[in-house]
Amino acid sequence: MSAFTFKEQNPLPGFRLTLGFAVLYLGLIVLVPLSAAFLKTATMTWPAFWSAVASPRVLASYRISFGAALLAAAINAVFGLLVAWVLVRYRFPFKKLVDAMVDLPFALPTAVAGIALAAIYSKNGWIGRWLEPLGIKAAFSELGILIALTFISLPFVVRTVQPVLEDLESELEEAAVSLGASRWQAFRRVLLPPLYPPLLTGFALAFARALGEYGSVVFIAGNMPMRTEITPLLIITKLEQYDYQGATAIAVVMLTASFALLLVINLLQKWSQQRTRG
Amino acid sequence: MAGPAISRLNRTVTARHATHDPAWVQWTLTAVALLFLTLFLFVPLAAVFTEAFRRGIGPYFDAFRNPDAISAIQLTLTTATIAVPLNLVFGVAASWAIAKFNFPGKSLLITLIDLPFAVSPVISGLIYVLLFGAQGWFGPWLAEHDIRIIFAVPGIVLATIFVTFPFVARELIPLMQSQGNDDEYAAITLGASGWQTFWRVTLPNIKWGLFYGVILCNARAMGEFGAVSVVSGHIRGQTNTMPLHIEILYNEYNFVAAFAVASLLALLALVTLALKTWIEWKNPAAHGAEA
Amino acid sequence: MSVEVRNITKRFGKFVALDNVSLRVNSGELVALLGPSGSGKTTLLRIIAGLEFPDPGSAQVLFYNEDVTNLPASQRKAGFAFQHYALFRHMTVFENVAFGLRVRPRDKRPAEPEIRSRVAKLLQLVQLEPLAQRFPSQLSGGQRQRVALARALAVEPKVLLLDEPFGALDAQVRKELRRWLRRLHDEIHVTTLFVTHDQEEALEVADRVAIMREGRIEQMGTPEEIYEHPASPFILNFLGNVNLFQGRIHEGRVVIGGAEFQATNHVGESNSGAVAYVRPHDIRLTRERTGQSSLAARILRVNAAGPVVQVELERLDDHSQFGVQLSKEFSRQLNPQAGEQVFVELQNLRVFAEDYSI
Repeated sequence: MSAFTFKEQNPLPGFRLTLGFAVLYLGLIVLVPLSAAFLKTATMTWPAFWSAVASPRVLASYRISFGAALLAAAINAVFGLLVAWVLVRYRFPFKKLVDAMVDLPFALPTAVAGIALAAIYSKNGWIGRWLEPLGIKAAFSELGILIALTFISLPFVVRTVQPVLEDLESELEEAAVSLGASRWQAFRRVLLPPLYPPLLTGFALAFARALGEYGSVVFIAGNMPMRTEITPLLIITKLEQYDYQGATAIAVVMLTASFALLLVINLLQKWSQQRTRG
Repeated sequence: MAGPAISRLNRTVTARHATHDPAWVQWTLTAVALLFLTLFLFVPLAAVFTEAFRRGIGPYFDAFRNPDAISAIQLTLTTATIAVPLNLVFGVAASWAIAKFNFPGKSLLITLIDLPFAVSPVISGLIYVLLFGAQGWFGPWLAEHDIRIIFAVPGIVLATIFVTFPFVARELIPLMQSQGNDDEYAAITLGASGWQTFWRVTLPNIKWGLFYGVILCNARAMGEFGAVSVVSGHIRGQTNTMPLHIEILYNEYNFVAAFAVASLLALLALVTLALKTWIEWKNPAAHGAEA
Repeated sequence: MSVEVRNITKRFGKFVALDNVSLRVNSGELVALLGPSGSGKTTLLRIIAGLEFPDPGSAQVLFYNEDVTNLPASQRKAGFAFQHYALFRHMTVFENVAFGLRVRPRDKRPAEPEIRSRVAKLLQLVQLEPLAQRFPSQLSGGQRQRVALARALAVEPKVLLLDEPFGALDAQVRKELRRWLRRLHDEIHVTTLFVTHDQEEALEVADRVAIMREGRIEQMGTPEEIYEHPASPFILNFLGNVNLFQGRIHEGRVVIGGAEFQATNHVGESNSGAVAYVRPHDIRLTRERTGQSSLAARILRVNAAGPVVQVELERLDDHSQFGVQLSKEFSRQLNPQAGEQVFVELQNLRVFAEDYSI
């Protein structure tokens, strides 16, 4: 059926106007510019594309970006679950404040986070000066990248797990314990399984965000080619050298990875909703 | 008599045992969680303000007397003033169409609206360079007509609109979907026109969700770094926003000024969080995703 | 004729919600659309209001002989009360009721004092004057429903449409409110259609009842007509509290387990399987066999709590179970006991051929 007959089915006005505007705006702001990246790449020959996206320096940047993002998401999966658990189950002073502050990485501009983290973890910084004697170089190293990515992707797991944990009825645990389960067994077998979907969703969201992050990382990473150069930075470097094709080719690889992740996240969220409804 | 009393006692003991962890477990888990949050949230936040005031009040305020800083603040405000209302109008229009009507391709449209969140900020800037840059699709035409978009304010605004695109819509769509159409139907059976229905019935129903989306959209619009960095050209006094200005000061080792400007943005973040928490507290249903 | 719909068909995908329905409602009448969920009653109501549209064809909706089929909902002047009230949360009771007057075009809008006095009168009518400045969230379910009614009445509707008006209320409030609605209707005489799935509600409140099933109107009539002359086994079943007896039609009479009965309705001469429907108060209990028209049964349970005595029985021949209602007085005379064997005499049998689908 066409959109026109659908309009006839609803007594409310404004369908064609609002949908028309929304689609036009979406097209102009998002879809046309994004397709420009793919069309630009399509003009490249295959060997040129391959050398742009698979040179040693680019490959090294993938390793760093994907590796650090995965690790940061994993750290946040563990600590995010812990934070959500503590926020939902326990009582402690300033809990409301702590709860609200979990969203800070969403609200704080990445450049601000970047310089703050760099200041803290540099060798004269509040934390860096304690790590220095231990032989740990936090700022301007791979560890710095990990710290920045952990910061900016911190809220995702907490915010996906928290509502599900709140909805879990304590009767479930009571039932498990009344059937003879130990506290640990009740956690492992009754509480944890419903948390897998939101945990995975949060992990994927954190990973996706960390993968594309730029602002907070550049200040703390040191940005040495082959060692601490993340892929988004490499795109900027290519742009500054007027290598538009090279930059775009790498961007297309990143975009493809992001869209695949988006698809996975959508599927995870559907799964999550089915689980919660059931 | 004793039987039921004992079994009731047993029940409460079991219940407490089932849902409450031993004190040492509670303490340990809470301590670890708070330590993690302190390291990653509170220490960086404290660092911003400490570094900003390292040389005292005077140098702190000097940072804002610099003409470049003033122009960066002005540009940031201008950008947000254009980007936020546009995305607000889009968000309301899109959620009206999506929540109030059925049409084929609806879930695809919802996914496409979320797309900018999945794109790296750097790429968000890059795609506009590909369209409007000197070597871009429209580059020659723009050069001919002496219109500058990339390395100029329009490019900054466009990139900001892109990265903040989904905020209002993704807040309103689930909220309006959960509210259904009955209020609007009631209004039209009472003789209200479409505009009257929207202004008098729909808008009051969604105002908190709308506000929520707008403050998040604004925070991101004022703080965006990566995307803006690509299209700005970093021309002092002309195309530097506050985050870009921070970068320049930082790279010049002018730490006090960098952190002073950063403290302003950190303050904005705190205000945003406070407003957000206030809305959630005042109107739990406003946050559509949880309604 | 105040409201008339002609040849309304409505499909949702493959599902036929309304199948060529026509209905006429007299001016000032209170009509119930009664049916199980999915029978199309709410869809019909929404089509009359202009909130839903019939499939294109010869469908017509008329208000006082004026064709409103193509008129938008905002111009039909059909007052609609929603099942969950749809009160505007951010407006007071007063402003909710005043809404329909305030949104009128400037030239037709009453002046502020006029609005105030009209709203006050309506609030008086629904007995909510003292609550005028409250918000909907501060009202009980029954009060909300009354605000919704006052709001719908404020625009002086040609017809009042109520979708499950008592559906969201608990049993006690439900009963009070439906009597109140009847009295209100007797006072203001606005043509009213209301949707319900509760047969008791429909039979008690309405002037006429239209029973709907699978997108069609199965029978329409006064509550008495419907109760005394149900047109189909479906209606008998839907009205509830009826016993089924399997038997055969033979030369115009019904044969059940060896006994012969005269049917109340016309059954013809056909020699075929049949189902007889008998209401529990149309069954007589005796200790002795009274002739051709009685069946042997055993008493399973006797329940004397309530205004009548309920007896559950089981037939001796095919062990099917049925229920009988006895008056207290008769029960005292007979003194039925669980386990004993008795004879039952069936009266007022309504017989339908077996293949009549339910």
